[in-house]
Amino acid sequence: MDFPLAIARTSLQIMRDTVHALLMRELKTRFGAKKLGYFWAFVEPAAQASIMAIMFSLIGRNSLAGVPVALFILSGILPFKFFSKLLPQLAQAISANKPLFAYRQVTAIDPIITRLIIEAVTFVVVYTVILIVMAWMGFEVWPHDLLALLGINTLLLILGTGIGLIMCSAVAHWEDSSKILAMVMTPMFFISGIFFCATMIPSQYWYLFDWNPIFHVIELSRDAMFASYTTPVGSWKYVGMCALVSVSVGLMLYQVNRNRFIAT
Amino acid sequence: MISFNSVSKYYPTKQGRSYVFKNVNITLPTDVSIGVLGPNGAGKSTLIKMMGGADFPNTGEITSDKRISWPLGLQGGMQGSMTGRENVRFVARINGHKQTKAIEQQVATFAEIGKYFDEPVKSYSNGMRARVTFGLTMAFDFDFDVLLIDELNAVGDANFKAKSKKLLLEKYDKTKLIMVNHNSAELKQYCQAGLLIKDKSLIYFPKIQDALDEYKALYVTSR
Repeated sequence: MDFPLAIARTSLQIMRDTVHALLMRELKTRFGAKKLGYFWAFVEPAAQASIMAIMFSLIGRNSLAGVPVALFILSGILPFKFFSKLLPQLAQAISANKPLFAYRQVTAIDPIITRLIIEAVTFVVVYTVILIVMAWMGFEVWPHDLLALLGINTLLLILGTGIGLIMCSAVAHWEDSSKILAMVMTPMFFISGIFFCATMIPSQYWYLFDWNPIFHVIELSRDAMFASYTTPVGSWKYVGMCALVSVSVGLMLYQVNRNRFIAT
Repeated sequence: MISFNSVSKYYPTKQGRSYVFKNVNITLPTDVSIGVLGPNGAGKSTLIKMMGGADFPNTGEITSDKRISWPLGLQGGMQGSMTGRENVRFVARINGHKQTKAIEQQVATFAEIGKYFDEPVKSYSNGMRARVTFGLTMAFDFDFDVLLIDELNAVGDANFKAKSKKLLLEKYDKTKLIMVNHNSAELKQYCQAGLLIKDKSLIYFPKIQDALDEYKALYVTSR
């Protein structure tokens, strides 16, 4: 038995080791148990976009706002899918790993960071692969403004982190909170501008949609993606404020509840 | 030394806050093994968990300059959906070991649960859980000054009991125990000192026999 005795590490190294261990564990349960786990991450948004593209083609439209239908819908569905998957994942991050908090190295933020990494990396990979496939099929996919596209998706990630943290605290106090979340996310699919954009709505009705930060995110990502589309409502300031406020509230709630998360 | 600095712990219940510990100030030595005594529900497991960092006091703090293990008990510490091997690998990783093969092998050898080592922990019996949990601390070659044991050796078969006893006594010079056990004979075997939970507080007895006597006088009603 010649294992090294206690390995001296800084707090940051301990956290890195813990997140690594959790990452290995999560990947195994998420993608290892079902053989097609990762496959569905690509197929689901692609299938949804194709079905809608076919529907629009059947009613005689092959472009929306000067953009091919399939590409138009994908540019909305991908960020929405990312957001609507990230939230339940974060909301359950703590309860799914509860027995592992018995080890003092593991704190409540570790599984949250782990799941953020998994979801963000999956999102980037899926986004890229789908765009490459679209390019291979002959679509013009290179983003008109790559930096803006990266920027808006980063804001989306921060917004999701904030609301996810809030959900963690909500679930810790009342387990059924995640059911409410699922109920809210279903209508969100229809009002976030996945299969329409602001220029298709008369301007006096914009107020029905422009409270929704996800609507802004999708508007802004289309603005960044397509040279032919300029959003009349999408506001960086509004998305930025929503992201900042949600992440601040989320971190505050985390700080208040951090012991409650761990105690069994 | 493990210092309790005005430690209070309560659980919210339907009838309001139910205090388990109220304003506890005590310093426990770490050069002797301590047996924890108290009736069911007095807070023995809570105490072990708080010392192991798996739970926190509501107010106050527990500090120590020694290396204290995680609570070795039947609850917690192992994720049911992961196999024994995956749990071992997880613990090795969070302790900073990059190469986990040798540790896995060592736990498997100690636990002697055969092919079940690669089955999910939720399919284990209590005895099998205890074997893996105990094997885990083994694999780190008792990398601890204090081992927190919460009724773990109560469930094993004779073979496992003999094995773990031999090990604990062997390592006694380096590793002391803080142990919860309802069997006073076993407590006397392992521990020199006693810690009694009384009136939401802790009383330390340098001699385990005194603690046992006090415990009997307080809680065991003669027929």
